[in-house]
Order: sequence, then structure tokens, then C-alpha cells
Amino acid sequence: MARNDIPNRNLSQHDVSRRGFLGSAALAGAASFAANMRVLDALQTPTLAAELKRQQKSVILLWLAGGASQLETWDPKPGRITGGPFRAISTDIPSVQISELLPKMAQRMKTTAIIRSLNTRNGDHGGGTTLMETGRAKEAAVDYPDLGALIARELGRADSQVPDYVSLYSETEGRHKGGAGFLGARYAPMFLSDSMIPPNIRRLDSISETDHTDRAAFQRLLAKQFQDRHPRSVVSSHGMAYERVRGLMSSETLFDVSQEPQSARDFYGPTQFQEQCLIARRLVEAGVPFVKVARAWWDSHGQNFETHRELCADLDQGMSALLDDLGQRGLLENTLVLTFGEFGRTPQINPSLGRDHFANAWSASLSGCGIKGGAVYGKTDADGHTVVEGEAKAGDLFATIFSAVGIDPTKEYQVGARPIPIVDFGCKAIPEILA
Amino acid sequence: MSADPLKLAVAKTIRLKSIGFCIARLPQTERLFIGGSDFKVYEIDAALEKPELIEFQGDGHQSYVMGSVVVGQQLITGGYDGQLIWWDHEQRRSVRTLAAHDRWIRKMVVSPDGKRIASVADDMLCKVWDVESGQLIHTLAGHKPETPHHFPSMLYAVAFSPDSQSIVTGDRTGHLVVWDAASGKSLAELEAPVMYTWDPKQRRHSIGGIRSVSFSSDGQFVAAGGIGTIGNIDHLDGPSRVEIFNWRTQQRVHEISDPGYKGLVEQIVFPRQGNWFAFAGGDNGGFVSFYDASTGKLVHQLKMPMHVHGFVFNESEDTLYATGHDQVAVVTFKEAIPAQAAIPAEEPKPAS
Amino acid sequence: MLRQFCWMLMVMVVMHRCADFAELLSAELLPAELLPAETPVDQAIDHYIQLQLDTKQKQPAAMADESTLIRRTTLDLAGRIATLSEAQAYVAATETDKRSKLIERLMASPDFAFHFRNSLEGLLSDGQRNSPGDWREYLLKAIREHRPWDQMFREMMTGNEEDVAIKPALTFLRSRARDLDQLTNDTSSLFFGVNVSCAKCHDHPLVDDWKQEHYFGMSSFFQRIYLTKTNLVAEKFSGEVKYKTTKGEEKLARIMFLTGAVVEPPVVAKTPEQIKEENDAVHQQTQDDKAGPPPKPDFSPRAKLVELALQADQNHFFARNAVNRIWALYFGRGLVHPLDQMHSENPASHPELLDWLSRDLVAHQYDLQRLIRGIVSSQAYGRSSVWDSAGDPPGPEQFGLALVRPLSSRQYSLSLRLASLNPETMTATSSPEWVNRRDEFERNSDDLANQFEVPGENFQISVDEALLFNNSARMWDEFVRDDGGMLIGSLKQKADQSAQIETAFWAILGRAAQPVERSACEDFLTQKAANPVLGLRQFVWSLLASPELRFNH
Repeated sequence: MARNDIPNRNLSQHDVSRRGFLGSAALAGAASFAANMRVLDALQTPTLAAELKRQQKSVILLWLAGGASQLETWDPKPGRITGGPFRAISTDIPSVQISELLPKMAQRMKTTAIIRSLNTRNGDHGGGTTLMETGRAKEAAVDYPDLGALIARELGRADSQVPDYVSLYSETEGRHKGGAGFLGARYAPMFLSDSMIPPNIRRLDSISETDHTDRAAFQRLLAKQFQDRHPRSVVSSHGMAYERVRGLMSSETLFDVSQEPQSARDFYGPTQFQEQCLIARRLVEAGVPFVKVARAWWDSHGQNFETHRELCADLDQGMSALLDDLGQRGLLENTLVLTFGEFGRTPQINPSLGRDHFANAWSASLSGCGIKGGAVYGKTDADGHTVVEGEAKAGDLFATIFSAVGIDPTKEYQVGARPIPIVDFGCKAIPEILA
Repeated sequence: MSADPLKLAVAKTIRLKSIGFCIARLPQTERLFIGGSDFKVYEIDAALEKPELIEFQGDGHQSYVMGSVVVGQQLITGGYDGQLIWWDHEQRRSVRTLAAHDRWIRKMVVSPDGKRIASVADDMLCKVWDVESGQLIHTLAGHKPETPHHFPSMLYAVAFSPDSQSIVTGDRTGHLVVWDAASGKSLAELEAPVMYTWDPKQRRHSIGGIRSVSFSSDGQFVAAGGIGTIGNIDHLDGPSRVEIFNWRTQQRVHEISDPGYKGLVEQIVFPRQGNWFAFAGGDNGGFVSFYDASTGKLVHQLKMPMHVHGFVFNESEDTLYATGHDQVAVVTFKEAIPAQAAIPAEEPKPAS
Repeated sequence: MLRQFCWMLMVMVVMHRCADFAELLSAELLPAELLPAETPVDQAIDHYIQLQLDTKQKQPAAMADESTLIRRTTLDLAGRIATLSEAQAYVAATETDKRSKLIERLMASPDFAFHFRNSLEGLLSDGQRNSPGDWREYLLKAIREHRPWDQMFREMMTGNEEDVAIKPALTFLRSRARDLDQLTNDTSSLFFGVNVSCAKCHDHPLVDDWKQEHYFGMSSFFQRIYLTKTNLVAEKFSGEVKYKTTKGEEKLARIMFLTGAVVEPPVVAKTPEQIKEENDAVHQQTQDDKAGPPPKPDFSPRAKLVELALQADQNHFFARNAVNRIWALYFGRGLVHPLDQMHSENPASHPELLDWLSRDLVAHQYDLQRLIRGIVSSQAYGRSSVWDSAGDPPGPEQFGLALVRPLSSRQYSLSLRLASLNPETMTATSSPEWVNRRDEFERNSDDLANQFEVPGENFQISVDEALLFNNSARMWDEFVRDDGGMLIGSLKQKADQSAQIETAFWAILGRAAQPVERSACEDFLTQKAANPVLGLRQFVWSLLASPELRFNH
């Protein structure tokens, strides 16, 4: 399926993103300017064309909530006293082995890179989550946006008819809404908590389609009077939010997995996580720049091996189906698929045959867009207690993510008087992982 | 000498550098054979002042050693690598290896008549082997490969009846099957679903399962051990649990749920003589509990110095030898002996 | 001709001289001397605001029209929109002092205490929602009693846990006691206007005022605080903060206030037994829930903080921060902005005004309501937010054009509720029974309020809110219900469309409809003539969902 045939990605139908052309500050005031811009003219400008291409990228974060064990996934230590009972298996990359609990992913390392050397030091669910969500430690003075908000801001479109940031997380432990911080509520996630359908996305039965549209049009008409009297103010965000409603309502079908043929649903599998991976593909295909699919709850203080048997099987199936499906649809080269959680798990095995929280030497994976498939960055010692090579911080991971999807990791936002870099101080992208 | 569970006491502990999962004893001795998380098989003579770990040599396991049984001159072990290995326990050397299962072997046992081995693994099969030849006699398939929640299932427990005629197997979802050992036919199916906790909301995975099974001394009853319903499945935070069924009538006759001694029941042993039975297990700690077989009531129990994974009795059934997380413990229930300080295990020596 | 020329010259010279003199006059009132203390607060405000506008040669916006003014004042003092009766009565009234009467009425109303309580709660919880009920009660009571701000500060820092009336004040410390950094930062920021968090790891990179010594100096006031097993705030007998400088040197912090004033703990000789007894007593408090009241050490660093912060030669941080934060509540921006950046690199937009107001606050025993009254009575407060003159408007730091501010989640929730009710049931806002009704509205507004973003820097309306209005059952079935007690019920009774439109505009937006709006509404309602009630519901919904209701403008 050619890229341009995908709805909302068809450049001849939609306006060029104002943001891409005019820069972030002009967002509020640029409404009338770009409305009539012809796309063909725009494409003749090379920087603009590059901007457009950049903006077609998406990120899917498979968030392993609770902290998955690196020893049972990407960095096995078979035969060591810390290694547990599971073996390492060969993959489609000769020098790379991963845990036998991810046999399907072992055949898909050609599009996947692993970082084995994360040392993020925070083994607390709250602190670790904040750190890995935002790429930096919490600061009293600054309300940092999470990865989804940043990606929504950088890769999203001002006039988008689909959400910019969707977080699929029905009711599980550790559900954490995250937030847009200083970027503002415009970039807050569409957060699914109680059901697989976003809240308030469906028209009430008690109101007809026509009435709903008429009502919205009338509201817009009246609102315009007020907006015109207060240009250059916070009021414009009100109109923008309301303008997105119809588009978002029509994106409800994206969340409806019954729209897919049974063969597609079987391809992914029946579990909730696998279904959500399928929904993630649908969202990304429709132009949603960031989707977080959270799989909870990996916090295996007791029975680590049994728990990982189940959860790794779920992840292995869902993730490999997702990568295959994205690949078949020509989307993988523009979609970055990530796995990580708030931390890893201890090499030491406790008496309940569990592993506890551990942030000193753990792993993340990156697949697809901008990634050098088969690359493995960083090493841990023989038992997995410490990083011995290529220590990486949360900020380094984030810088790498940004680089992979074409966002300049040295970029800064102006927040009040203060320039805030998009990546934490002293952190940079890992070139060994990047294509 | 009659056993008196009221006199339960830890007599001796021996440190291990690994987790001991299975234990066997050479008859008429206190020579114990341990297999565990360092993939190795050891002998320890608990009778010695300072027992030493003596490592077995040869073609060993490639993963956790989960079952060890003594048959005559041989020790047979089974492991996560799917292998069954025969060893000469005097030579302390492997003599035969068998690729027995595709997936992780969770347990293996020998029939009381010493003729058959039964192994269970996560391929959800119970395989019955001839001890002498290593030939596969039966493949017993009666357990579903997936849990009701679409996850791969596990087959944890197996036991022979005292007359060697029957086998019972128990799995992750609480399903039990009783088999005829000679024909391989299924004789009965029982359910103990409380042993399986599925968290549908917070964690969307399961925990638990039947971890131990045993026939009663007269063969009429089958006992299944595991853990009761768990609130927070991140931990083994549930009561230890045993259910006893008359397997022919399919009636459950006893239900034991002990919130005071939490965790998995990893092994249940009925004596050859006596109207009691014992089970052991643990969570972050460990326990051994003795119950009256007729009434299903607690006789006595003891906190163990470690989570227990397996234990065996001596001939007079007044002493048990247990292994588990980083220790071997000798527990007597005859005369109380003052507990000695733990003796650290010495570096394992290769067999001479 | 020469005579005319000379006359012109003379006029020019005189005019020039007059200009000089005016400048001289105003120059005499600059930095060296503040306006006299007897100057009414609102006049002092207008004086300094106008002075700067003149200096920068900027015109302020016109005064806001009367519907806007009563709406804004009611929102800011009562935490809700004005009712139809209130708005119409105000606009129609002819007394010249109706504005000051309005302010008096609102500040004396029960609404004032509820709203100011909500504002203080928001301030002190730093944007967190749903603080404990007893803490909210404490704030409400303190406001109703006109408790001075310094006394409230003392209660929050050192209140006696055994005094049932004061105990809830310790919520500020209690909710932060487990995180020394958060406690240090929040106290410093919320009570002194100083965010020293940057200075934790190194001397502040941009601001010479703040060194690591200051951060850990402030931290030292709190370091001995702990929570007992029963969650009481208590203090240990000893304890010091250690820190590492950027050079890796380990240092022991001195107890030091932001002014640099150091507190030396008294040197008391104690025997090892005494020390052990003290430590045991503290340890017992953390373990035993039947331990009895915690011991009170003779030396209390947090009590010293209060003492020092309010001392005559040290209180400028406390006073200026109070002024600045109250100012920001009503103008949408502080005299120092951002509100937690009070330091030499970030001077106030109107330094003399800040000085004058701080001096006034201290001289009047930290009476916040006096300050509030002065602010809302000023001309500066009453400016329009619409700029329709030529040229650029004054910058926000000049306070010549009112800022558009989002309503707080509670203001919005309450206002939606009021706007959706039958205006005829909302006439008794000055009666004694109104306090109960208002209390009920408060309690019932929490749930809806939680759906709205808490306003802060970089505020935007989220699409969740737009979806909520468009598709939630609550907004449609509850707020635009066809029922006698609701606005819809009242509109149905109206004789004609014109009356319906007028009533709806006044009830929801607090003003008359413009001709252009009126005809658009008439068109709409006429279109819906086949189902007039549905038409009314959609009409009212559109007004409720308007940005004009959403913002304070």
C-alpha cells in the first residue's frame, strides 16, 4: 500500500502543517495564513518538503509497566547463578542472542536494536516512571512533558483530525496518565482507562448527527465574536480544541478492532495487549504520531520466571505481529517501536523465585524508523550486576529516540525566560544504534 | 520408632550456594543428592560433622535441575533443559542422557517399585519411561496447552501411587488427571481451580497452580498442593493450600488453607505407615506442616529456615531432609535435638 | 508680528518649563521616597501604574464596560459569575459609588470566603487537587475570621498538633514531611517567592543571589522534622544537613535564611544518656502508635524560621511575596514574574509599587483582605481586556490592558452550574440562606471541577474538555435539562425569541446580546421551530460551551 494512499497522509487533501513552516510560536496566530496554501507550492520548497516528510513519522511505545526483567528478555545470562532457568537463543543476527522466552522476536532482530547498558539509578516505581517517561529527573521548577507530548508536539499536525497522542492503558496497575507539562494541554494524551474506547468520543444516542453538527456550528459562530476581540491570547486554544472534536469523533473507528478482518485479529492474537498492538497500528496508519501501549504488570517480586513466561509470550506475539504488520504495510520505516519500562530487575533471585527492582544495568529495545537493525549497544558484566561498557542514561535514550525520527536532539524550547533543551543536560544520541 | 510431629525441630542446616530444587536420599544412609539452580548435581552426607558438597561429573544439565530420584545404583535427574540424565551415584558420573521433553521439565518421580520414571514438563505432557532402558513407555496428554486466558500453561506436578499402578498429574490451572500407569489411560479428572489466581484487571496475568501432588498411603486419595487466592500477584501473598480428593468418587474430602503459613506448597509426602502427612513450601520464608490424614486437621508445623522446594523422609519416617533456597535442612520429629548453627558448605570437590 | 512671535516664544518657553516642572514633580516621587503611607491602596496602585505608562508613553485600554466589570469582580471575589439579577441590577444602577458598593457586598458575602479559600488552597497545594477536608475547613475559618497572614504562616509552620482548631494547618508540612527537598522548595517558593531548587546542586548559574549555602540553609530549617507513627508533625532534638559542593567538598550547612541571616543553634551540653534518651523517644514516636504526644525540643529550627521571616529587618521576602501572589490572583501576572523568581536578576515591573504595598501590608498586620480591596478598587484592575486603539497595546507587565485568564476549575464548574439554572431561583444571593446554597454548590462542584485543567503557565484547553461538552451525558442531560428549575425551563416560559435570547445572554454571559449575535440566534431558533425545546437546548448549550464563559476577561 503506497504511503500516500493512507488517509490523512494524503498531501493533496490537507493543508501543510503550519507549525512546520512557521515555527512553534506562530501557531496561535497563523490560522488564516496557511489555510489556502497549496501543497504543490509547498513541496517545491526543499526544507518544507523535508519538514513534511519528518512529520509523517510515528512512535509506538510498548511500555513494560512494573519493570520487565532484562535477564528474561534482551540480556540473558544463561548458566550464571543470576541467569535463571531459561536459555539464550540465537537470532537472525549472528552475534546476538536473546532470551528463549522471545522466540519470535529472535527472528526479527534485523529491524531491532538493543541497548543493554541503561543505568538510571532510580528503582522506585514513581521516580523511575517519571524518569523514563520524561527522560530526566523531576525538577521542582519545571514541569517536563513526557515523551508522548514531545513527539505529539514535534511530529503532530496543528489541524490534525486524529489524536496526536494516545495512551492505551485500560485499568491496569501502574496506569499513569503522564502529561504535557509546559507544552500545555494541547499535547496531553487521549488516555484510555476504563474502556478501549476513549471517553466522550461517541455522540450521545439522544442527539442526532445533524443536531450535533448544527450545534457545533452555532457554537463556533458565537465563539468567533469573542475570539476576534481577544487575538493573541489563551482564548485561541479554546477554539482549536473544539475544532478538533469532529475529527476526533470520527477517529473512534480507529479504536474499534472489529473493523479489522478476523485474519488480522488472529494475526495479532486474542489478548488485550495484542489487540491494543493492532489498534496501535491502525492509529499510526491514520497518522497518529505517538501511541503508548502499556502492558502491566511486570513487577515479579515473586515467581519471576512464571510471570515472565506469560508476559514474555504476550509481548513476543504482540510485538512481532506489530513489526510484521507495519513492515507489510510499508509503515515500519517511518514508525519507531520501543520497549522499556521504569527499570529492570535484580540479577539476584529472591526466595520466592522473584526478582526485585533494579535500575543499574538494564535494557531497552528500539525497532524500525531510523534504527540500525541488529545493533547491540552496551554491555553488562557476566552476572548482570553492573554496566561495563557504554553506560546510558534516560536522556541518552531519549536523544536517540528523537534522532531516529528526525527530531533534532539539541533543540530547545523557550519556557518563559528560560531555554529548556528537549534532552536532559549532558545526554546525547547513541550513534551506534542509529541507521 | 513412631514419628511424633509435635516434636518437630530443625536439627541441622547446610548452606548451599544455589537454590536446591530437588532432593533424593540413598536408602539406609544420610547421603543426599541435590539438584538446583546452578545446573549441578551434588551429593552431601548429612551424617558428617562437616558435610561437603561433592559435584557429579560428566554430561550434566544445561539449566535448573528439578527432579532427582535414586534407583538402585543410579540417580536419575530431570531439568529445565528437557533432559533426563542417569548417573552412577557411586562414581558420581553421568551414564546416559535423554532428550525427554521439548520444554522445561518441572518434576520427575520414580515409581515405588523402581521400574518407571514419570516426568512432567511445560509441553503439557507426562512421559513415563522405563528406568532400565530409558525407553518411552507412555506419553500422557491430558492437560491443555493454554490457560483459559490464552497464555501458555505449565505442568508442574506428578506422583505415583504407593502400588505403582496409578499416576497423578497437576497443572497451572488447577486441573488434575489420574492415570493408569500400565495402560496410560486417563482414569479420573479433578479440579482445584482456587490454586490458580488470574488477575483480570490490575495485572492481566496469573500466578499459582498445582505445584505438588501425592497419593495417600492407601492410594485412595490424591492430594494437591499450591497456594490459595492471592490478592497482589506480584508476591506469593496467599495462604498455603492443600486439597484432598477421593479420586474415584471425585469428592473433595479435605481443604486446607493456612493464612499463617503463606506461600506455595511445593511437596507433599505421605508416610508408608501412619495417619498423617506432611507438606512443605514457602514464600520468602518457608514452612513444613503436618496434618492428620483422617480429619484434615493441623497436627504441628514449623517455620523453616528457607523456602522449601523438596523433601524426603528417612526409613523410620521420623526425620526429613529438605532442600530449598540456599540451604539443606535436616528436620527431626522424634526427640528434640538442639539446633546447631548452620554449617557453610565448602567448595564443591570433583568426584575422585 | 514680532509681538505675536514673542508671545509664541514665551508660550513655548512656559510650556517647556511646565513640562520640566511636571517631570521634576514626578521625579521627586521616584525611588528615594514612596507615596505617603496614608494614601489609599487603590490610589497608590493607580499612581504607580500610570507613572510607568506615562514614562513608556503608552496609553492604557479604556475602562471595561459595566457588564464586564461586575462579571470580573464577581468571579474574582466570589468565585462565580454574577447571576442575571446581580448583573442587570448593577448595570442599571445609577449611584456613582456603585462600584465600591459592589466590592463591599461581594467581600462581605459568604462567597468571598469560599473562593479565597479555594485560591489559597490552590496556591499552597501548588496545583494539586483534592486536599484534605479539615485543611479546607481550617482555611475557610481563618479567612472568615480575617486571620492575618503572618499568623496563618505561624500556624502552618509551628501549629500545635494538640489544638484541634490548629492541627489541620500542619497539612502543609505533613504532606511534604517525607521529602525534604519538596518541603524546602515549596516553602521557599510559596511563602518567600524564591525558587532555590537550582541552587541545590551548584550555585545558581544565573542568579548571584542564590548559592548552595542558601538552598541548604533553608533546608536546615526543616531537616529535623519527622512524622510520627500517627502522622503527627514533630521535630528531632538534633540533625544537620550535609552537602557536597561542585568541587566535591563535603560541607555542613548552617541554618540560614534567604537574607543570609544565620541561626546558631544553642550549644547545650548533653550527656550520652540524655542523647540516647532523646533519640529513643523520637524513635519510639516513629514506631509506636500509642506513644503519646511527641517530645518538643527546646530548640526548634522551624520556629526560628517563622521568627526570622517575620522580623522587621528580614520580613521583606515574606511581605513582598504575599503582595506579589495576591496581585497575581487578580491581574493574572505578578509584579514580579514568574512568581517564584524574586531575585536581583528579575526586578519587579513596578519596584516602588511593590515596596509601597509591602510596607502597607506589614503596617496593617498582614491584612490580605485590605490589599485585595485596594486592588479590585483600582482603575488598573478595571481596564478592558479588549484593545481597539491604534498601535500596539501595552505589554502585560504594564497592567494597562486586562489579561484574559482561564477560570479555575472550581470557578468554571460553579459558573456552569449557576448559568444553567433558572435565573428566577437565583435572586436571593444577598439573603442569609445563600450561604447554605453556596456551600452546597461548592461541595457538588468538586466532581465536575476535576474534569478541567488546573490553570498554570502555558495553559491550554484540552480536547478532552471539548469532547466532554460535546458528548458527555452530564453536559447534555444535566445542564440543559428541560425542567422548571433550569434555565431551559425559564426560557420556555418567555413570550418571544427576543426575550429568550436576552435572558440566556444575561444568565450565561452576563450581558446583553449584540445586534449581530441577536440576529444569528434568531435565525438559529427559527430554524429549529419544528422542535423548539430542542432548539433552546442547543442554543443554551452553545452559550455554555462558549469561550466567553470559559475565561475571565
